[in-house]
Amino acid sequence: MVSELATEPTVLEAGNITVHFGGLVALDDVSLHVPAGCIAGLIGPNGAGKTTMFNVLTGLQEPTRGSVEFLGQNVSAWPPHRRGKAGIARTFQRLALFGRLTVHDNLVASWESAHRGGVLGRGRAERNIRVAEVMDLLDLWPVADRLAGELSTGKGRMVELGRALCTDPRILLLDEPGSGLDANETAVFSAVLRAIISGGSDPRHQSAPPAVLLVEHDMALVMDVCTSITVLDFGKVIARGTPSQVRADPVVRAAYLGDASAG
Amino acid sequence: MSQYWPFIVIGLFTGSIYGLAAMGVVLTYKTVGVFNFAYGAIAMFCAFTYWQLHDAWHLTAWLAMPILFLVVAPVLGIAFEALYRPLAGLSAEVLIVVSVGVLAALSALVPIIYGKQDRTLQAIFPTSTFALGSHFHVGYDQLGTLLVSLAVAGVLWALLRHTRFGTSTRAAVDNPDLADMVGVHGDNVRRSAWILSTMFAALVGILISPTQGLDVNQLVLVVIYAFAPAVFGRLVSLPLAYIGALVLGVVVSLLSKFANSGTVANLEAALPYLALFALLILMGGRLKEAGASSRRLSVSTRNTAGMGNAIGARHWIVRVLGWRLRVERKLTVGLLGLGLALFIPLAVPGPRLIDITFAVVYGLIALTLVVLTGWAGQISLAQFAFVGVGAFTAGHLSGSHGQHFLVAALVAMAIAAPLGILVGLPSLRLSGLYLALATLAFALIMDNVVFNRSDVSGGLTGITVPRPQIFGLSFGGRASFYELVLVVFGVVAVAAYAIRLGPIGRRLQILRDSPLAASTLGVNLTVTKLVVFAVCGMVAALGGAFYGALQQAITPLDFLWSTSLTLLLLVVLGGRSVISGAVIAGAVFGVEKMISNPQFNEYFPLAIALGVIALAQEPEGTVALARRETRRVLSVLRPLPRRSQRRGPDIPAVPNPGVAVAAGGSMGANRGL
Repeated sequence: MVSELATEPTVLEAGNITVHFGGLVALDDVSLHVPAGCIAGLIGPNGAGKTTMFNVLTGLQEPTRGSVEFLGQNVSAWPPHRRGKAGIARTFQRLALFGRLTVHDNLVASWESAHRGGVLGRGRAERNIRVAEVMDLLDLWPVADRLAGELSTGKGRMVELGRALCTDPRILLLDEPGSGLDANETAVFSAVLRAIISGGSDPRHQSAPPAVLLVEHDMALVMDVCTSITVLDFGKVIARGTPSQVRADPVVRAAYLGDASAG
Repeated sequence: MSQYWPFIVIGLFTGSIYGLAAMGVVLTYKTVGVFNFAYGAIAMFCAFTYWQLHDAWHLTAWLAMPILFLVVAPVLGIAFEALYRPLAGLSAEVLIVVSVGVLAALSALVPIIYGKQDRTLQAIFPTSTFALGSHFHVGYDQLGTLLVSLAVAGVLWALLRHTRFGTSTRAAVDNPDLADMVGVHGDNVRRSAWILSTMFAALVGILISPTQGLDVNQLVLVVIYAFAPAVFGRLVSLPLAYIGALVLGVVVSLLSKFANSGTVANLEAALPYLALFALLILMGGRLKEAGASSRRLSVSTRNTAGMGNAIGARHWIVRVLGWRLRVERKLTVGLLGLGLALFIPLAVPGPRLIDITFAVVYGLIALTLVVLTGWAGQISLAQFAFVGVGAFTAGHLSGSHGQHFLVAALVAMAIAAPLGILVGLPSLRLSGLYLALATLAFALIMDNVVFNRSDVSGGLTGITVPRPQIFGLSFGGRASFYELVLVVFGVVAVAAYAIRLGPIGRRLQILRDSPLAASTLGVNLTVTKLVVFAVCGMVAALGGAFYGALQQAITPLDFLWSTSLTLLLLVVLGGRSVISGAVIAGAVFGVEKMISNPQFNEYFPLAIALGVIALAQEPEGTVALARRETRRVLSVLRPLPRRSQRRGPDIPAVPNPGVAVAAGGSMGANRGL
């Protein structure tokens, strides 16, 4: 199954990433690749280094060693905004919404940030259409004119996802999008996620639907939507494979799932 | 070598006082998360109180000191704790505004309570000297101050390091909720920290006043010397802050020896500010803001902005139309106001018209701070430095060099742009508090290094700025100059309004709300911040050219660092995130100019400062207050809605046309103006 996935073109590849925070090794020689058209999972207990990995991939954290390749290009030296424009989009574990803008303006500002000339008002019609599509897809119209800072966490996560989608990304990095969602919202969310990678989010404007890298604690959600999973513990990769392989792996059970079921 | 010793001793003496101040500042920052811009004002207030007790009421020092340290300082400390408690966890911006408000309030309060006469405070220790070696004498007051300072600093350090109070303090600041749960009484810890810090301020006040003079502004300024050492200790280390202050004191003192010979004129006065600016830039990313991880968003939840206008607007074309209606309503009101203002000269006599013109120019300057701080979230305590650059440039070019006023204004803006970028540089790695400190340092450097040069500003006599002549039209008269300024203001305000509603306005606001998220979406933070600082600096310089031409004679005193603080306060009062906030700031400034009743002039600044403290959390300041009150009053007049159409306060906008009509007043309230 893994070898089968490897034949897909790779969207994002991280090679031998190591990050030191003083004496602490947050990531130790971690490699990761996300093929096109896939939802890849990155799981691990708290403090395993998942968010640090996201920060390295988006350029917010400079790795001590290692490189990041995006669509075959080495982007290791690129600042965050260049990676964002090129098509790497992310959400944040702690919501980072534009709190004093309306939900609609959050999405509009995102489109304008990611598209060349957006800040000068270029492509206004295209922008409006794209934003409306994303609002439709994520069912954000009922809160379109609420300030983003006043939303519930669940809605806030949807707005962050919408904001990321408005950049027309080639890859979406989702940092615990399921936390703070109720069961109903989670079901909606996984449906939305599938719609996104199957191209349902935007049939007209994108050459290819984005790949997804998902950090998530909700194991049911991860096992349900991901085609491949990487497991981190204390900054190291301890397992890799399809959901069923990972679920059966004794090391993973001991480090993570065992803990979860015991707790 | 022996020639240097007297300067080293003087340096240690003053440095040890700054050391106490630096420790006091660090103490409240690390325990309460409040950087106290008002620290100098508190020291000043205590020094005046001591003068009252000791010199006016003739109490002996043995009575006056216990009253000061055991009654006055603790009461002040408890009051500050109560003032800041509800603000815990709010954005750095709110805390900065409140502490600047406290600074202004105390500065206004002292003349009211203690009167305005000149006075001096006797040194606590005898001023006679003793010989040390052959050539060199040390004053007992210097020695005494040094010893007291060392002893007190040592006690505080030991207290925090080796007692339960110290560990509680650390627990309380690291995680207030958790600390409460394990039995650390956060309130007590915070109150103790405020009391200790205020006692230190009192000590600083009575130690420093005998040499620096018992003067409101001077004492407030002098304590800013302690900010650089405090930052040197990263606002957490008491020993580093103290040592840094001693070193700074000695270096400043040694420089003053050379400065006398005319080689490094006035560098010694500016050195603490240069050090502050340099430290902030060099230490950059290593400076962490206390409690930044547990910040709450300071959005006023009473603001139901936009709740009324989601109504059924499912298609973007419908949305755009509704939006356009709201925009045009506001624009119409604004332009109508400007149009009416054109006729003011017909109704108002000459001298008053000058004051109104001041209000308009001030509004133009205030507008730059609305854009910079209210929209883009970049705090600046240096905006009037740009006004000074504009005014002096205009004065030199259009006055003594006889250039066209337009040329002079353009050159002023061209000079302001790189200066704006210079002030913006710290913002690339710093935000919130540290950015505010960097801009404060910049304002003080401009004061001391640039504006006090007589070839720049003409010294205390100042220079003259002629009224402009543009395209053969003379704007020398009061009325014509007023019209010119009003038109310029109108153009800039309408442009700002248009920008605010478009992509650039959104770009500025996402920079304010979450720079991190903005950068991952594709926003180049470096370019955006520097452009904002440069443009706001340029427009402030343009305002400065008009400010100069209006006043016709300008001196460095017109652009002191404290004028930038006043500007911030007035803009916060008016409403820092709305254009009408700038209009109100200008109006308040104009009113203060217009009324020359001594009592009014004493109490007005106090009222402003208290208003700012009360409204610090409200981004739309008085504007929001006025809107809320108007709505409340109008709601009484409104006919009762039919029951089925009533809307509870917390129900999200549901398609319901009845609400759209009822809540018409709130439509797009978050969009500004």
